[in-house]
Amino acid sequence: MKPLDEATLIPSHMPTTNRPSNMGASVNDNASRLDAVPKVTGSAKYGKDYHLPNSLYIVFIRCPWGAADFVSADEAAAKATPGVVEMQVRGKSCTYHGQSIGYIAADSPRAAKRALRALAPKWKRTPVKTQISDTVKDNPDIGDDGQNNMNGAEVTHEAVYTTPVQTHSSLETHGGAVDHRGDRATVYASTQGTSSSRDGLGGPLGLGQGDFELVCEYVGGGFGSKLGGPGKELTTAAQLAAKYKRPAYMFCNRSEEHLDTGNRPSSRTLARIGFKKDGSPVGGEIRTWGGTGVAGGGGGASIPSGRYKLGEIKKLHDDVSFNGGGPRAFRAPGHPQAAFAEELMLDEVAAKLGMDPLALRMKLAGGEHRKMFEAGAKLIGWSNRKPNGSQNSALRTGYGAGAAGWGSAGPGGAAEVVIARDGSVESRTGTQDIGTGQRTGMGIVTADALGIPLKYVSVKIGRSTLPPGPGSGGSVTTPTTAPTMTAVAKAAKTQLLELLATQANAKPDEFSIKDGVVLRNGEKYLTWEEACGKLPNDGITANKGKGERGDGHSNGVQFVKLDVDTETGVIHLRHVVAIQSCGRVICRKTAESQIIGGVIQGLSFALFENKLLDRNTGAMVNDNFESYKILGPGDMPHIEPVLWSKGQSGFKALGEPPTIPTAGATACALFNAIGRPVRDLPLTPDKVLAALAAGQGGAA
Amino acid sequence: MNPFAYVQPRTFDEAAAALAEKRFSLPMLKAGGMDVVDHLKEGLIQPDALVNIKRLRSQPDGAPIAEAGGKVRIEATATMAEIAASDVVKRLAPVLGLSVGTAASPQVRNIGTAAGNLLQRPRCWYYRHEQFDCLKKGGSTCYSIEGENKFHAIFGGGPCHIVHPSNLAPALMVCNGVVHIVGSDRKSLPIAQLFHGPDQGIRSEHVLKPGEVITHITCDAAPRSGFYAIKEKQSFDWPLVAASVSLELDGAKIRSARVCAGAVAPIPWDLPKVEEALKGVSVDDDAALRRACDVAGDGAKPMTDNAYKVRLLPVAVRRATLIAAGRKTEVDA
Repeated sequence: MKPLDEATLIPSHMPTTNRPSNMGASVNDNASRLDAVPKVTGSAKYGKDYHLPNSLYIVFIRCPWGAADFVSADEAAAKATPGVVEMQVRGKSCTYHGQSIGYIAADSPRAAKRALRALAPKWKRTPVKTQISDTVKDNPDIGDDGQNNMNGAEVTHEAVYTTPVQTHSSLETHGGAVDHRGDRATVYASTQGTSSSRDGLGGPLGLGQGDFELVCEYVGGGFGSKLGGPGKELTTAAQLAAKYKRPAYMFCNRSEEHLDTGNRPSSRTLARIGFKKDGSPVGGEIRTWGGTGVAGGGGGASIPSGRYKLGEIKKLHDDVSFNGGGPRAFRAPGHPQAAFAEELMLDEVAAKLGMDPLALRMKLAGGEHRKMFEAGAKLIGWSNRKPNGSQNSALRTGYGAGAAGWGSAGPGGAAEVVIARDGSVESRTGTQDIGTGQRTGMGIVTADALGIPLKYVSVKIGRSTLPPGPGSGGSVTTPTTAPTMTAVAKAAKTQLLELLATQANAKPDEFSIKDGVVLRNGEKYLTWEEACGKLPNDGITANKGKGERGDGHSNGVQFVKLDVDTETGVIHLRHVVAIQSCGRVICRKTAESQIIGGVIQGLSFALFENKLLDRNTGAMVNDNFESYKILGPGDMPHIEPVLWSKGQSGFKALGEPPTIPTAGATACALFNAIGRPVRDLPLTPDKVLAALAAGQGGAA
Repeated sequence: MNPFAYVQPRTFDEAAAALAEKRFSLPMLKAGGMDVVDHLKEGLIQPDALVNIKRLRSQPDGAPIAEAGGKVRIEATATMAEIAASDVVKRLAPVLGLSVGTAASPQVRNIGTAAGNLLQRPRCWYYRHEQFDCLKKGGSTCYSIEGENKFHAIFGGGPCHIVHPSNLAPALMVCNGVVHIVGSDRKSLPIAQLFHGPDQGIRSEHVLKPGEVITHITCDAAPRSGFYAIKEKQSFDWPLVAASVSLELDGAKIRSARVCAGAVAPIPWDLPKVEEALKGVSVDDDAALRRACDVAGDGAKPMTDNAYKVRLLPVAVRRATLIAAGRKTEVDA
């Protein structure tokens, strides 16, 4: 391959505010988020911020145990609590901590909580299962297909890899505030699907779709858990608002958010795989189990990922139930847990083969991934990597690598561009910005298509009355809406130029717009404002146009460098290089931010996150942000996002792929440092010490 | 949250008087309020009065931290951040500043107080969850024994297996700390007598009687002192184990040592065997130092999931010793 440009080879201590490697990679390198100031100053109103006058406040009555039969509750005392408006208790047997058996609606949050206390439900606990290993205790024998796949293998590997339940931990919890005014309503939601939430609310509100508007201008995180309609929190608020013709508010608290708003299912992967001595794959069997709590499914793990040639693999999967809340889509569902198993498995195979794990990946990966691995190896300093387990110092350094991939989406959604006579432009689509930069991206593509500076463009998203856009799932929001918005903006520009041509008695193709100046035959003709001043009163409204689809996958690779304190088992993350393609980058800063965010979430999954259910009662013991641990500032490495934009066209996915390989690459780096694999996430000191102890006297 | 009266005394004596008022059945002190508010939110306490001592000083216009006759004097309401930044502490008893300087988060350190740190309740997740009627709440079961005990005690023998959450308490232990109180006949209490194990009463961790209020804390100078905590997360996390050490040195040789561990027992846990073993050891003799510190785990009775703490404790003790002696640890660059 061609060597990278000098500019790409930036030192790792480069301030993150200045990433020359990514300069010129995007449509707009310098734009900051259009909503940066409202978000930083607090003037941005999230759904959870809408405390409306005279609002009802609703709390769910929830089971405090993993499994329990409802015995009794003091409904009279709860109803007698001042401020209680309505209560519903459906006593029943529950099968997970946080399961709702009804609700209390009251005039204030405090009244609702007091009533909940007065209700004092009594439960009789029943036996629980809390994890996959309560059901899957042994490794089943390999099947005939898997055995046949391994024929001819010269080196074989068999191991079990496990990951815990990870919660989405959205800062803004699930819920909504409903302003019901009798014959119409406004719904303030926190959703990843402005349209799909709207679709589910007509019934509960008792209103036709035209009689209410769903507003979701800002979302404090969703990561997949806020897809699929309004959810029970908002639905209940809508029903009660409709019944009492007054505002209603229901948002989960932090505990409820951990317990009952979905999660990334736990996983167990039993890999049996064979290779030739030169690293050529032979094949085998990979068996996975997904820990889906009380849900019947949704625990699939994407291994083999297809990013590496592994030979003929027989894949088997079972979902396993236990007494925990069910999963929901979570940023690259099925992928990070699978990549953890796949990447660490590859490093373990490489160790058995006596190969550098990157060399093995170069043998197994496809062309673009190979180029990315070469570039990333230089950026992380892979040549400084020491062989597995060869260090004796207290602090040992490890390097690991992993790969990501994601499919693309075609253009879709509806958009509208309005050019006003004063030169201002409104860019409208009914999507939502779940933190990705969608608002900013829509502004940038509109400005770019029109040939004007971003300052003229005002973006309207997050309202169900706007032209409908897609839900934010599968990393499709930008690949879907950006081509459409681009096409619609171009249509608006065409209308404008045709009008100017007509007025000047000229041909439209004599006119063009660049940097906010209208050119005629390449010469300055009018400023943007002057040109818009020639529009009729209502300006221009365009809403038709067909966008172009981006090609291919959003591939990526990541490298992790870390130090392990072998006396304490504590891992100190040092440096992460994240190379990611996503087609034509729209906004450098928000794209970098997406990658950094994905890496942080992956590192947090690698080192800390674990929804821990008490093995005897099934109660989640860490349903908070104290003991449900998330990567903090003190643990943050230098993260270096690289926008791989050469040879890329079209708008492709970016949201999910950057979180796929991180935990796997981290586990590989740990393996490299200490010479022993830790096959169970999170990589906590107790496990690192146990691995080191197992390595003493044994072959690494 | 139940309604409660909010009392704003002007002096500690007034605070003690408020606690003794007959009209309150369960008055509570509130300084920084970190732990009190946690308890209120979880429904673990229903006080009918909060007595706010946050802005009180035992001496009018007194500095939060001062030198007094060669000793360190710390106001009960001095914040953790003030202790960590104090030049007096850095010079006379650095272990105090180190112990609170990386605890919790900057926000917590800016509001959490010295006495609040000493008297905060344990972080045991069974204690902190209302639905568990554990021993500490008057129930009949310690749920940690057969449950999730990764962060629980390896010393102390139960029947309640909390670890004492204070970082400052073990640090004061190695400096002969004394808490000064109003509201009763006794005027002061050595820190070594402030806490009691679950065998002396499960529902509280300290011996203060209702109505007693800590006004300030004093301790001996311990210029050769250090602290080391091993934490999973490097920001906003509780130690897995922590060690406070104070040394008297002849050159590099340890003449005497005081060693107290945190996060391993229901009370700050003295390690007299380590103190004995450290005598005569040169802090620059790595092998000898390791041998001496390795006895730190002697007598530990780990639970099902926390044997790793037994391995961590000697490391924390050794690193705290090196820090106390002004040496670098093996992982310092």
